[in-house]
Amino acid sequence: MAEGKFEVLQGTLDLMVLKTLQAMGPLHGYGIARRIEQISEDALRLNQGTIYASLVRLLQRGWIRAEWGASENNRKAKFYSLTKAGRKQLATEAENWRRMSGVIGRVLDLTGRG
Amino acid sequence: MFTALRILVSRIGGLFSSRRMDAEFVEELDAHLQMLTDENTRRGMSPAEARRQARIRLGGPAQLLETHREVRGLPFLETLFQDLRYAVRMLRKSPGFTAVAVLTLALGMGANTAVFSVMNTVLLRYLPLPHPERLGHLRVPNGQPPGASNTGKSDTSFSEPVFERLRKEHGVFSDLMAYVPLALDKVAVRISGNPEEAEADMVSGNFFSGLGVPFARGRGFTLEEEATHAPLAVLSYSYWTGRFARNPSAIGQTLYIKGMPFTIIGVAAQGFYGVEPGASTDFWIPLQSRPELNAWGRPASQGTLYGTPNWWCLRLIGRLHPYVTPAQALANLDPVFQRAARIGLGTPDPKDRKPVLALAAAKGIEGIRDQYEQPIEILMAMVGLVLAIACGNVAMLLVARNTTRQREFSLRMALGAGRSRLLRQLLTESLLLVTAGGTLGWMFAILASRALAAWSDLEVPFLLDANVLFFTLTISFACAMVFGLAPLGTAVRAPVGPALKTSNVTAHRDKRGSWVGQVVVAIQMALCLVLLVGAGLLVRSLRNYETLPLGLRPDGLFVFGTSPRNMRSDDEKARFYQTLLDRLRLVPGVESATLMENRLGSGWSDNNVLAIDGVLPAGKFEDIGVRSNDVGPDFFHVLGVPMLRGRDLADSDRRSAPKVAVVNETFVKRFLPEGDPLGHAVGGTKAEQMFTIVGVATDSKYTGVDEEPMPMVYVPYCQVQSISDMQVELHTNGNPEALLSSVRTVLHDLDPDLPMQKPMTQRAQFDASFSKARLFARLSMFFGLIAVLLVATGLYGTLAYRVSRRTSEFGVRMALGAQPSQVLWMVLRESLLISGATILVGVPLAVAGAQLMRSMLFGVGPGDSLSVAGASLGVTLVALAAGFIPARRAMRVDPVVALRYE
Repeated sequence: MAEGKFEVLQGTLDLMVLKTLQAMGPLHGYGIARRIEQISEDALRLNQGTIYASLVRLLQRGWIRAEWGASENNRKAKFYSLTKAGRKQLATEAENWRRMSGVIGRVLDLTGRG
Repeated sequence: MFTALRILVSRIGGLFSSRRMDAEFVEELDAHLQMLTDENTRRGMSPAEARRQARIRLGGPAQLLETHREVRGLPFLETLFQDLRYAVRMLRKSPGFTAVAVLTLALGMGANTAVFSVMNTVLLRYLPLPHPERLGHLRVPNGQPPGASNTGKSDTSFSEPVFERLRKEHGVFSDLMAYVPLALDKVAVRISGNPEEAEADMVSGNFFSGLGVPFARGRGFTLEEEATHAPLAVLSYSYWTGRFARNPSAIGQTLYIKGMPFTIIGVAAQGFYGVEPGASTDFWIPLQSRPELNAWGRPASQGTLYGTPNWWCLRLIGRLHPYVTPAQALANLDPVFQRAARIGLGTPDPKDRKPVLALAAAKGIEGIRDQYEQPIEILMAMVGLVLAIACGNVAMLLVARNTTRQREFSLRMALGAGRSRLLRQLLTESLLLVTAGGTLGWMFAILASRALAAWSDLEVPFLLDANVLFFTLTISFACAMVFGLAPLGTAVRAPVGPALKTSNVTAHRDKRGSWVGQVVVAIQMALCLVLLVGAGLLVRSLRNYETLPLGLRPDGLFVFGTSPRNMRSDDEKARFYQTLLDRLRLVPGVESATLMENRLGSGWSDNNVLAIDGVLPAGKFEDIGVRSNDVGPDFFHVLGVPMLRGRDLADSDRRSAPKVAVVNETFVKRFLPEGDPLGHAVGGTKAEQMFTIVGVATDSKYTGVDEEPMPMVYVPYCQVQSISDMQVELHTNGNPEALLSSVRTVLHDLDPDLPMQKPMTQRAQFDASFSKARLFARLSMFFGLIAVLLVATGLYGTLAYRVSRRTSEFGVRMALGAQPSQVLWMVLRESLLISGATILVGVPLAVAGAQLMRSMLFGVGPGDSLSVAGASLGVTLVALAAGFIPARRAMRVDPVVALRYE
């Protein structure tokens, strides 16, 4: 694998999917995967199929919903969109994430003594 | 919490719509792949390259689908279903194995469940009443105080004053109930038309309310109805069913008990048969004080009328308060009891033995314990042996089968199956087998317990015990698991390569394994031998009962009981019976007729110490006791008992005639060995109680078939004080049963309320005296047969398996010139060796085991050589028969085919 790319943690992927759907509105699996890759400036190369496990998990929790629709090229595709519960969850998760990454950042910034 | 629930619901949903969801997901992936390809094409790739790159970016569709399923559904359940499907498929592939294993398990579990359920009913179960643990029977283990008399059993009988005093002890009992049968056996009842018999109890007013018996119809009695001895009756549910076809209009109908009218006011709920274990009451009436309806049906003339203070006739059962322990109860009751026990007996002598009060739990075990406990324990041991043999069979079957499956296991492991997954697969198969066996066994148990109930003459219905089934199921499952999993151990350790390379036939020819198999079969056969010896002994005992000379001619004899009512004086009764005899002698087909107080073969007898020529003999009761029976004219002629000297009793031996007696051979040998016995007197010490011996008859059976010869005295029934209810014996040259209707007419003409009590042939009555022996002989034969079948299948399976393993060896031997007979012998020798070892081990075991059932044997010792030899022969024959089919197969092996078989 090329350097500069890293594997995604399961929970993080869920969070990214939620955020993407919030930002972009209803989107199909390919769109979500593509969008995440673009945002990460291709630093994050997904095995795009893995996105679907995340989507099932989110569906089961009732944070997103899915319906069949037509894509830009008029192909039949399943579109996912955020639910109300999903919006709320995203807010909490994002807050948690910020706090966590802040903590981790500070821990990593500690300068060693000797 | 809510989210978790939602996930579960959606996952369970995923289980059921799995196919549709798969299709949808594949479609979704397709769309995704298209979009990726489009993108790649836009970047200028060739269509083929675009598609290839798209696939790489997306990932393998099969893996994605698998992950999708895992997240979507409940993987545990899904694999369970998979395992089950696979197990069913595997079991269906070897129907022979499956059928034998399931049947074996079913027989083992079914027999066990049935026998344990019966035992539970008889010995362990409480009465079907609310809070049965608080119910207790009162007992006097050391009997009534001196001066008191009892009817019933000495340890269960109480006087009326004792009941009246104790029932007032409200601090101990919330209720104390009294009950007593209206007859020793059954009482005459007429509902409409013909008189019949029923089992009836007189009870205190609080009997139903105190016990907490629910009612199907109507109500129970009140204390006031007890005090006024109200003519009311409550039916049991089964009597209501059998006699009134559950007609609600039974309430209010009249029931004539010994001709006296009683109004039916209620029907007790289903399942209540009274409080005596093993018996069932047909109806209950309040306690009565009329002489005709005296307790136990006793003549009221001899100071034994209900209420007489020193006559102990009542049975008592109490309901303790929840906070009172049995010990406290007895401590509180004892002073009251001791005072009440003295009532009617005058001033106490301090040296007198004091009656001891005791409480017994109202469980089935009381009362019929002595009668059934040991036989049922023996039965349980037999069933245990059958179960052990069955488990051994299943174990062997599983081991043999899974050994041949080691290749399959190795293959599956090579293909990436985890050990736990293989383990689960084997467990599922065992579970499936045991469940199937258990289901079939349950059905078998239902049939078996019905048969047992019918055979054992217990009138209480047996309920199958689910706990027992669960217990045997657990044992079987444990056994199936241990032996079913055993080969897995070798399979997971075995290197995959060699296991796959060797052929099915030669895989794991494990010397040790086959040796273990032979030992298991030998143990099974030894257990079978024990069972067969037991069965042989019981069957021989039964034969002895059946063929034992009775000392009389049982053919053409017909017997029934009568109890004339409204007759107080002995003269009246004597006239009644003389008239009855005279009329019966005129009935066409009746050759002769006579009477007897105690019916032969019924177990009842009179036992006394009698004076000879006015002198009472000294010594222990065993040496000086005499059995007697009050009998009618022509007694010895009717029964076909040969007279050795003197004459038979005759019509002329009337009440007013000189008192005479006939004695038997044993009596003469013991008491009058010298000189002529005729002319000596037997009876009391006073002249008016002496009976002159006018005849000597040969010994004949009295109480039952297994009776030892006892000194016997027969006296004319009409020459004794207080004539009892008599049994009538008829002799016919034709079929005794054909007399039934004409005899009934004679009785009806004499008195329309007079039923024939227990009419049957004398032979049937004697047969009934060893019904228990017959039951156990039949059951043990049944168990022996099952054991033989199981052992035969087990041995056959082992030998057939070993022969199939050695097919190529036999082929080589035969190619090298071995004769078919030599090959046959090789296989048969093995089964003969096993049976030889079995007999060596099994015979001492069987003889030791037979010691335990000594009391059930009659006329054979526990080491009876015929039974042992027969059982050994049986086991050997089974071994030979089981070995013969595989041996013949081995003999017919075609060397060429066998060598190619590899």
